[in-house]
Amino acid sequence: MQLQLGVDNKVSKNIITFTKLNSISDYIRLYNQIEKQPELKVGFKKIKIAILASFTAKGMEQVLSVKCFQLGIDPKIHVSDYNQYSQEILDKNSQLYSFNPEVILLFIDSRTIFGDAYFLPYSLSVDVRKNVSSKKTSEIFALVEQIKNNTSAKIILHNLEVPIYSPLGIVENKQEHGIIEIVQDINSALRNSYKSNGQVFIFDYDAFCSKIGKQNIIDYKMYYLGDIKVHLQYIPDLCDEYLAYIKPLLSLSKKCIVLDLDNTLWGGVVGEDGFDGIKLGPTPDGRSFWEFQKYLLSLFQRGIILAINSKNNSDDALKVIREHPYMVLREKHFASMQINWNDKISNMKLIAKDINIGLDSLVFFDDDKLNREMVQDALPQVHVVKLPDDSSLYLKTLASLTDFNTFQLTDEDKRKGQMYAEQRKRDESLASATDINQYLRNLQMEVTIKKADSFTIPRISQLTQKTNQFNMTTRRYLEENILKFSKDNSFIVLSVTVVDKFGDNGIVGCAIIENKGVKWRVDTFLFSCRVIGRYIENLLLSYIINAAKKQNAKILVGEFIESKKNAPARNFYKENGFKLVEKKDQIEYWEYDISKFYSSPDFIKLIEG
Amino acid sequence: MEKLRELVARVFGVDIKKINDEFSRSSVEWDSFNHLLLVSEIEKEMGITLTIQDTEKIKTFGDLRKLLSKVNKKNE
Repeated sequence: MQLQLGVDNKVSKNIITFTKLNSISDYIRLYNQIEKQPELKVGFKKIKIAILASFTAKGMEQVLSVKCFQLGIDPKIHVSDYNQYSQEILDKNSQLYSFNPEVILLFIDSRTIFGDAYFLPYSLSVDVRKNVSSKKTSEIFALVEQIKNNTSAKIILHNLEVPIYSPLGIVENKQEHGIIEIVQDINSALRNSYKSNGQVFIFDYDAFCSKIGKQNIIDYKMYYLGDIKVHLQYIPDLCDEYLAYIKPLLSLSKKCIVLDLDNTLWGGVVGEDGFDGIKLGPTPDGRSFWEFQKYLLSLFQRGIILAINSKNNSDDALKVIREHPYMVLREKHFASMQINWNDKISNMKLIAKDINIGLDSLVFFDDDKLNREMVQDALPQVHVVKLPDDSSLYLKTLASLTDFNTFQLTDEDKRKGQMYAEQRKRDESLASATDINQYLRNLQMEVTIKKADSFTIPRISQLTQKTNQFNMTTRRYLEENILKFSKDNSFIVLSVTVVDKFGDNGIVGCAIIENKGVKWRVDTFLFSCRVIGRYIENLLLSYIINAAKKQNAKILVGEFIESKKNAPARNFYKENGFKLVEKKDQIEYWEYDISKFYSSPDFIKLIEG
Repeated sequence: MEKLRELVARVFGVDIKKINDEFSRSSVEWDSFNHLLLVSEIEKEMGITLTIQDTEKIKTFGDLRKLLSKVNKKNE
């Protein structure tokens, strides 16, 4: 185990890294040791987690805490008293709400939900059974709604374990509303109800049980003696699943996978075995690499950026990437390709710089243990994956990582890997261009500016949440807020989409403007940093000025709120003819006289949506 | 035997010197959860399975020691 965060805390790093964790009591001991020495958690990120379970959740607190320590997180955990979960949820003054958690793990098990009906479903008539699933589903919904009304915490709702035994044996699935069907119906009702909800996330506990094995997940002795419904031995596995939710909440998710080539993306060494000698494709010795690449491609399609860090002859490697018939990943999938004889550490830094993301956003795959150790040692922020020697286990290793999660997946998110790869081509084109205007003209940009609608609102909200650099006011808005603005006649919410000859950038900017009659106020004006400097921001400004002019407004008021990160936006209003008139409560008010002519860039084609 | 004492001391987080045949469930460390934890870790470490009846019968370290030597004999 390694401490993944770049926490500069050597003592805790040593304790956490070198303590063997073979059993629950090891976790509990390490937990007690660290809790006694708060100095070990200096520099850790904080989070508050509540565990509400319908059975004894003892041990979970300590194991989950240790799992968090390993990531440089110092959690505060509230566990509801034994069988008190529903009282805690229903009572507005309960400890749960005063604790004010950021994540709530709501874990109600099948036996508790069904009571006697779990064992005796067929003592109920078919008509009664027919209503069981909707009745039980509404009971769960009622609890979730109550939590939603009282907190803004992310709710991780466990679905139900589908039983593997039935008194009816092989004819169980010939029944109308049999017990197995009832549980499956509840699970699908839960899934469907929260598909578009940003607060409630269904944790597929049934799938987790299958992964461990439903025969193993419960230790009946422990269940009868202590009402323990998850075998103690598997609590660490369960907590690993919870980390998948905690990481994105603390911005610990990874964005980019950096790959070695020889014996990682293909079998063998291309410099020695040659183009025809490497192992890749539908053969016994090539299939593991081929499928590993396919899985990487599926991650690319969900928005993960890919890059190469390989010691190789660039020509040999590029020939494989371009021409090998079974190469799944091609040049167009990589945002940065460092194929050379430089050391892997400088290459890694170069990749981060190239793509303009932090080293702590990188995950590194390399079959060579020495390379891995070198990189890990020099760059502790990088998550270096312990790739097994056996290439048949590569896919499994990759698929079990929980580092790439986000709570939201917009179309822009899904296209991110592709957009960064296109950016590489743009950068190459910029590097070979002799003057910047020629480069911008060559990009053949088409910009669409249109009013927010149900398709663009999630992305607009996300941009306000995530954009730090070119952001005039850094006001963070939820989807609900944006929706409200867009329905309000005195507000205009605009989204900006950019397409150029290298590809579609998606929605990269937005503005929220308040029409106050003679004066129009720019509440929000922001652009994603990868498009800044392409004069799209000037085009949007000119669009707003023209819209205001049409409605006989006289003055456009741009607001600016300085933050630690928005220096790139600092001089925008000044450079575009605005005058600072007032500064009050950290807000600067810049005014533009709308009767003045504003020239917008002529090399961008504007499409009004 | 020494290994068992070590394991018990480790699970309960107590000094191994305290672990003798008289060490019993009336001690603070040996609460009901730790009891189950102990059984679970013994099963894992020794590759055996104790019955629910045996699990309940263990009241002292002496009981545990005798039970395990019986189980080990049966396995031989």
